[in-house]
Amino acid sequence: MDGPLGRRFPVAALAWQNLTRQRARSILAMAGITIGVVAIASLGMFGATLEVSIQGTFQDTASSVIVTPGEDFEGDEFDADDVRTVERFSTAPVYPLRSDSANVTSLEDPREIQVQSVTEPTVFATAEEGRIPDPWRSGALVGSSLADRFDVSVGESLELDNQTVRVAAVLEPSGQASIVSTDNSVLLPERRMEDADIGLMVVKAESPPAAFQLGESLREELNDRRERFAVTDFEQAIQQFNEQIGIISTFLLAVGAVSLLVAAISILNVMLMSTIERKGEIGVLRAVGYYKRDILRLMLTEALLLGVVGAVVGLVLSVFMGMGINTLLLGDPFAFQPSAVGSVAQGFLFGTVASLLSGAYPAWKAANERPVDALRD
Amino acid sequence: MDRTGAAEPFRSAGSPGVGEQMAVISTTDAVKEYTRGGSVLRALDGVSIAVDPGEFVAIVGPSGSGKSTLLNLLGLLDEPTSGTVTVRGTDASTFTDDEKTKVRRETIGFVFQDFYLLPTLTARENVAIPGFLHGNRRETLARAADLLGRVGLGDRLGHTPDELSGGQKQRVAIARSMVNNPAIILADEPTGNLDQTTGGQVLDLFGEFTDEDVAVVSVTHDKQVTDYADRVVGIVDGRLDQEGVP
Repeated sequence: MDGPLGRRFPVAALAWQNLTRQRARSILAMAGITIGVVAIASLGMFGATLEVSIQGTFQDTASSVIVTPGEDFEGDEFDADDVRTVERFSTAPVYPLRSDSANVTSLEDPREIQVQSVTEPTVFATAEEGRIPDPWRSGALVGSSLADRFDVSVGESLELDNQTVRVAAVLEPSGQASIVSTDNSVLLPERRMEDADIGLMVVKAESPPAAFQLGESLREELNDRRERFAVTDFEQAIQQFNEQIGIISTFLLAVGAVSLLVAAISILNVMLMSTIERKGEIGVLRAVGYYKRDILRLMLTEALLLGVVGAVVGLVLSVFMGMGINTLLLGDPFAFQPSAVGSVAQGFLFGTVASLLSGAYPAWKAANERPVDALRD
Repeated sequence: MDRTGAAEPFRSAGSPGVGEQMAVISTTDAVKEYTRGGSVLRALDGVSIAVDPGEFVAIVGPSGSGKSTLLNLLGLLDEPTSGTVTVRGTDASTFTDDEKTKVRRETIGFVFQDFYLLPTLTARENVAIPGFLHGNRRETLARAADLLGRVGLGDRLGHTPDELSGGQKQRVAIARSMVNNPAIILADEPTGNLDQTTGGQVLDLFGEFTDEDVAVVSVTHDKQVTDYADRVVGIVDGRLDQEGVP
């Protein structure tokens, strides 16, 4: 207390001395706050990071608009004119997807498989083996499951409907959420499938919001009263997803808040016990000239110190836990999301405010005790 | 000063006459009632007493007679139900709580029966505690060291209360009561926990203080104290009564 810090912050120094009296009790009260802060921070971080992780998976799909023949479309499939129509109204590139079936005739037992064609295969698929030719005039791109099933690899040939094609690449498995699933099909250059029907068109926007906007304008521009083109975007799905994530986050936050509430009650308990035990002592301080507000300040500082120390420890632990969560979900320990940082700050803030609030009543009680009552045995 | 213990009759309270000193603290017709379980208990029943600078007054009486209540009134720790407490001529009932606190800090020193030292603080810090938040800390700490030297604990400055004996703690408490340069010291059984020799040392200390014009009022059962006092005031059933005075 005679040290430079004690001279500068006499109330804090006195408060700290008082906390060291019942060391175990103070540490336990701090641990309560630590747990509360870690709970709020890590659960919040988990929610935020999970959201980013899942959004990353769906980012590609959510940035797309899918155009299929609508209820009032004449015929079954699109043709090149329809593609041009969509292209005229679209601000983003349009990729017609042609699909057909073909028999693998090089097998003893011929099998029917799906063949697809897209104008820009690199938009929808990545080569695992070999490479996707650019420009793509010949060679087949084989989906991963199909390559496994038929045991084909790059450089080998495949006979489809008695025509031989060389395998240029075996593709990576397409994600669960991708629009064009290539896993069980063979992708062929467009010129080999010019006659095939166009089942759908994919419009690739730059981001999900751009896609939502584009979807809306296409829906209006392409159709009059009749719905010739059915335009699907993922706005609703994403909204629903965000709502669900919101519910999960709120739930996790509530769990964290409950643990913080328990911690706050434990601080309340510690401070109340402390004021009762130190009743006489506080009476003496009042008697020798400490104002009510001095006692209030002293007791609040004690509660605040419990909270701040507990919350700082919680903060450090939370950052470590966050690094764990980031590694697990995003593959990079330092990929802290802004909202994850926010929830750490929130945890810290809640922890200190909770301790201050729960210190308020005992402090008020101690300050307003009449010294004569406090000193009576 | 005569310390043979010849009990002079208590002075009546009120404004000092011509040539008289103004009392440090006085009470006039002080009544204090407590309500306990529906019945009213009268702890003080019209007590008038004035304490002059440099005077050593011992208050004696059976337990429950109202001694401690009187001490609390004199120390502005409690208010009378009726009657007045006057500090250097000012009616204490006109003070706000903060003003009373300030008067206690600047004018009064307390020695409590149970010492009430803060267990985590050293002897020097305990003595300095009244000046820790208000006043010059450095000066207060220096004065605390000086006072501990005067009470014979110059080599115990850095000791915490659990490293001190009962008598040493009592002397720390006495040093604390002096740290604010009070005009009056109010002591509750200051020798109650002490052996004869240590009790004598404490009384000699009080003697030094009264020589510096500090008034001392002590509630006591101890004959050693009443023998030492300038004036002994008896109190029985809440009334001043010289019959109980030895």
